[in-house]
Amino acid sequence: MTSAKYIDVKRFAVHDGPGVRTTLFLKGCSLRCIWCHNPESRPMQPELAIHYPKCTCCGECAKVCSCHSIVNGVHEFDRAACKACGKCESACPAGALELFGKSMTVDEAAAKLLEDKIFYEDGGGITISGGEPLLQSGFCVELLKKMKEEGIHCAVDTCGLVPWTAFEEVLPYTDMFLYDFKCADPEKHRKLTGSRNERILENLKKLDETGKEIEIRMIMVPEHNMAESDLRAAGEFLGKLKHVSAVRLLAYHSLARSKFKAVGHPDTMPDVESPNAEALERCAEILRSYSINAINSLK
Amino acid sequence: MLFGTYKDDEAYLWKKFQAPEFDPATGLDKDTAAVKIVVIAELDEPAPILKAKAFEFLAKNLQIEVDPHDFFPAFGCWQRLPRVIRKFLDKLGEKVVLHKKELWNLLNASGSSHIWIDFDHSVPEWNEVFSRGFPGLLKNAMEWREKHRAAGTLDAEKDAYFEGIRITYEAILTMLERFIERAKVHKNERCDFVAASLQRLHDGPPQNFFDALQLIYLYFMFSEHMDHLQVRSLGNLDNMLTPFYDRDLADGTFTDEQMRELFDHFFMQWGSIDNYWGQPVYLGGTKADGTTQINHMTHFILDEAAKLHLPTPKIQIKIAKNTPDAFIEKVLALIRDQHQSIVLVGEEGLRHIMTSHGFTEEDARTCDIRGCYEFCCRGKYHANTTGVGHLNMLKPFELIFNKGIDKKTGKRVGVEIPPLETLTTFDEFYRLYIRDIGWIIDSNIEVVNDFEAQLNRINPSNVFSPTIPHSLRTGLDAFHNGCDYNTSSLLTTGFGSAIDALSVVEELIYRRKEITLQEMADALNANWEGYEELHRKILAFKERYGNGIPRVDRFAQMLSRTVGNLVNDRPNARGGRWQSSVHCAKQFVVEGNLTGATPDGRFAGEEMSKNASPRMGSDVNGVTALLKSVLSIDAASFPGDYPLDVMMHPSSVQGSDGLAAWRKFVRVYFAGNGAAVHFNIFDASELKAAQKEPEKYKGMQIRVCGWNVRFTEMDKSEQDMYIRRAESIIE
Repeated sequence: MTSAKYIDVKRFAVHDGPGVRTTLFLKGCSLRCIWCHNPESRPMQPELAIHYPKCTCCGECAKVCSCHSIVNGVHEFDRAACKACGKCESACPAGALELFGKSMTVDEAAAKLLEDKIFYEDGGGITISGGEPLLQSGFCVELLKKMKEEGIHCAVDTCGLVPWTAFEEVLPYTDMFLYDFKCADPEKHRKLTGSRNERILENLKKLDETGKEIEIRMIMVPEHNMAESDLRAAGEFLGKLKHVSAVRLLAYHSLARSKFKAVGHPDTMPDVESPNAEALERCAEILRSYSINAINSLK
Repeated sequence: MLFGTYKDDEAYLWKKFQAPEFDPATGLDKDTAAVKIVVIAELDEPAPILKAKAFEFLAKNLQIEVDPHDFFPAFGCWQRLPRVIRKFLDKLGEKVVLHKKELWNLLNASGSSHIWIDFDHSVPEWNEVFSRGFPGLLKNAMEWREKHRAAGTLDAEKDAYFEGIRITYEAILTMLERFIERAKVHKNERCDFVAASLQRLHDGPPQNFFDALQLIYLYFMFSEHMDHLQVRSLGNLDNMLTPFYDRDLADGTFTDEQMRELFDHFFMQWGSIDNYWGQPVYLGGTKADGTTQINHMTHFILDEAAKLHLPTPKIQIKIAKNTPDAFIEKVLALIRDQHQSIVLVGEEGLRHIMTSHGFTEEDARTCDIRGCYEFCCRGKYHANTTGVGHLNMLKPFELIFNKGIDKKTGKRVGVEIPPLETLTTFDEFYRLYIRDIGWIIDSNIEVVNDFEAQLNRINPSNVFSPTIPHSLRTGLDAFHNGCDYNTSSLLTTGFGSAIDALSVVEELIYRRKEITLQEMADALNANWEGYEELHRKILAFKERYGNGIPRVDRFAQMLSRTVGNLVNDRPNARGGRWQSSVHCAKQFVVEGNLTGATPDGRFAGEEMSKNASPRMGSDVNGVTALLKSVLSIDAASFPGDYPLDVMMHPSSVQGSDGLAAWRKFVRVYFAGNGAAVHFNIFDASELKAAQKEPEKYKGMQIRVCGWNVRFTEMDKSEQDMYIRRAESIIE
C-alpha cells in the first residue's frame, strides 16, 4: 500500500476550494518561499517541532530520548541527532512536541477524509495540499481515485514546480486545481522562492489547455509582489488563460513565524505589515483590467 | 409628534426600566404595595382568590405612567427581583407543607442537583390572547364557569379557580382604565394615540398592528411583573403579526416606516428590562402545506433587531429543509456581526424527538419554542413545562473517589461506595457511577413531586390559565395540571465533562494501567496538589468528547440513553410526566463550584461543560468532528431540549464562501436531528481571554490567510498582532 508523509489534516477547511472541505497537507515542497506559512512542510523527511511556549521543562522527553535535555531549567534539543522516532512526542505531557512527517497509507488517508463526507454535498469536497503534494504524486493518484469512487469533489493545491508527468497522473481524478502564483518575473521569482518560474508557468499553460478548472491563489506581500508592475505582468500572463475561474488574492501575514522557530528553520518571513482590504482591492482592480475574476479575500 | 421621534425617545426608553420615576399622585410605590398585600395571604380563602385579590390591589393602587416619549405604559413594579408579589407568595407558601425539605436541602447544598420551584416557563396560547383580548378571555372563562355549573362539575376548588380568574381579569380592565385616564392628563398627541389603543384593548381584541404589540407587552407585564409567572416567549412573532401588518399597510392605517418605529419601541421595552436570560421570541416554521413560514414579517423583525442591536429579546428561528438558503445566510451574517443571541432550532430534530415520545407530526410542526431552547405543544394541544432540578453528572465521581462523602457538606450522599480496590473492571466502575446517577435522579424526582403536587396552592396562575382551552374545560390551573400535557424537566449539567472523566478512567486506569484508582483518588482529594505531573498528563489526554472519537462517543450514547431511560415518561405529580434535558443554564458554574476535582482534569470548583457541548477547549479536531460526536447521540433521549454551543472566530466564517460553508454546517447538524444550536463568534476580547487561559480555548480557530489556524498555538507576539487586527476590524 502506497503511503505518504503528511503534516496535518484540517476539517471544515472552508477556504481551500469551494464548500466545506477536508484538506490533507502533505510534507515536502519544491519551493522555499520567504513568506512560507507552512515551514514544517518544506523538507520531505520527518522533523520534530518544539512549541516552546507550551514546554514546562518537566524533562519527560529527556527520559525517553537523549536528544533532549533540561539544562538549568532550559529545554535543549540536539536536532542533528534526532531520528524522528516520535517517542518524545508521546511522552510530553504538555503537548509541546509534535512530529511532522508521519506516514499515512492511502486507506488511512481515505478513511480520515471520508469522516466528513456528509458535509461535502453542495459543492464541498477534499483538497490535497502541502507542501507540494505532487511531489508524492503516486500517493495522490491512488487517494484521488478512491475519492472519485465515492463521488467526492477533489482539488489539488499546487505550487506547480513538479514534472508535468505528475499533473498527467492526477488529472483524470482531479476536478479542480488551486494553483499558486507568486510573480511573473523569473528572476524575482527566484529571489522570493528559491526557484525560477519557467517550469511553473509552462505547467500552468499546459494545465489550462486540459480544460480543468483552475483557481489561482496569490499571496500578496507588501514590498515584494504588490507593485503595479508585478500585477500588470501577472495580469498579462493570467489574462490569457481560458480556464481560470478566479484569481484569489490572499493577504500575507507573518503569523507562521513561530513555526519557523519550532522546526528550527531560519526565519525568512518579511518584516512587513499584513495588507488590508483596501490594498488588496487595489491589486484586484489592476487584475480585473485584464478581464480576470479577481477575488479580494478580505472582503 | 406622533412618529419620527425614536431617537429622541431612546433616552427615556433606556431609563424606563432601569431608573424609572413615577408621579406619586398616581398611586403606591412598589415597596409599599408589596407590604400592603401580605395581609391578604392570611385570609381564610382558597389560594387562587387570595392571589387574585392581591393582584387586584396592585392593579388599582400601583403607580403608573403613560409617557409622551413612549408607546407603552409604565407599571410601578418594574423590577423582577424581588417581584412586587413575592412577599405575599412567601406568606401564602407558609400554608403548604413540604415533606422532602431535608432531602431537597442535601441535594442543593451538595450540588448533586439544584432545585427550585419553577414559575419561569409559562407561555400563553397567544392565539387565544389575540383572538379574544383581555375582555374576551374573561368572558370565555365565565362562560366555562357556567358550563361547569350547569354540568354539576363546579366543585368548590373549580369555583375558586374561576373566581380567581374573574377578579384578576376585571382588575386588568380596571388598570387599563387607569392608564387611559393617566394618558389623558398629558394632553399630548402620542398619549392620546396610546389611550385609544388601550381603550380598544379594554373593549376587545387587537384591531391593528399597534394594538397587537401593545397586547403582547401588556400581557407580559401583567403575567411576569404582577402575577409572578414568567412569560418565556413572546410567541411566533412574525406569524402573529403578519395579518395585522398586511391589513394596516393595505388600508393605510400605518405606513411601513411607522410600524417599524412602533416595533422599535416594542423591542426596546425588553432592551430596557434587560433580563440576563434574554427575553425569547421565535420566528419561522413550516406551514401545514409544507412550505416555509419565513415571510416579509420575518425579514422586518430581523432587520429591526439588527438595527437596534440589543442583546435581548433573543430570537429563536425555526429552520427546516424548506427554509431558503439565502435566509439562513442572512441570519448567519447577523450572528457573525455579533448578534449572537440568535438561536437556530431544527424542525427535523424536533419532529424526530417529539414523535419518538408519542406526539404527532402536526404537534411537532406547530410546537412552541420557549425559554432558552425548549419546545412543547401548542396548537390543538398545549403543554406547560417546569425546569425542576439540574442533575450534576460529575458529582458521582467526587463521591466514588471519596467514599461517598460530599466534600462541601461532609455528609453521606448517594449509594454506598465499596472500597476502590474491589472495582477491578471498568464495567464495575461504570455500573457504580450509573447507580449514583440513578440515586440523584430518584431523589430529585422525589423532592419535586412533593412540591409540584401543590403548585396551584403555592402560586395559582390566574393570568395564564384562561389562555389555555384545556384548563378552562377542566377547571384546573394551567400551570399546575390544567394543560393537555403537564411536563416536568430534569436538566443535566456537565454532560461532556462526565464523558471525558469516563474516558480518562477507562483508558488510563483500566486499559493502559498508567494510574491506579487509589492514585486517582489521592490526586482528586488533594485537588491535584502534589500530583502536577499526573494532572499535566491528563490535561494532555486528547481522547475527549467532541472530537469524533468512536470510543469516547460511545459514552455519550450510553449516558444519554441511561439518563433518558431513568427520567423520561416517569409520572410527575401533576398528571403529566418527566422528561430529560441536556440544557443546564448557569448550573455548569453553580454546580461546578460545589463539586470537587474530577478525573477529566478539572480542579475543584471549576466550571463544567455546558449543554450538549464539550468542555471549553477540549474539542480540538474542528467543528465537523464536534458534530460527529454530538450527532452520535439519539436526540430523542432528551425530549426537554438538546442544545449545542459552537464557538468560532469571525475570520473562520469570513466572506461568502465562509458563510456558505457555515450554512452547510447548520444543514448537516439539523439533518442529523440536532435540535438547537447557538454560535459564539469571537471578537478581540474573546481572543484576549483565549490568550490568558489557552486551555479553555484549544479549539478556537482563526483565519490567517487562506486557511485557519489554532489561535492558542501561536506565539504571544503573533496573538497580539491578531488581537490588534481584530480590534481594528471592530473599529
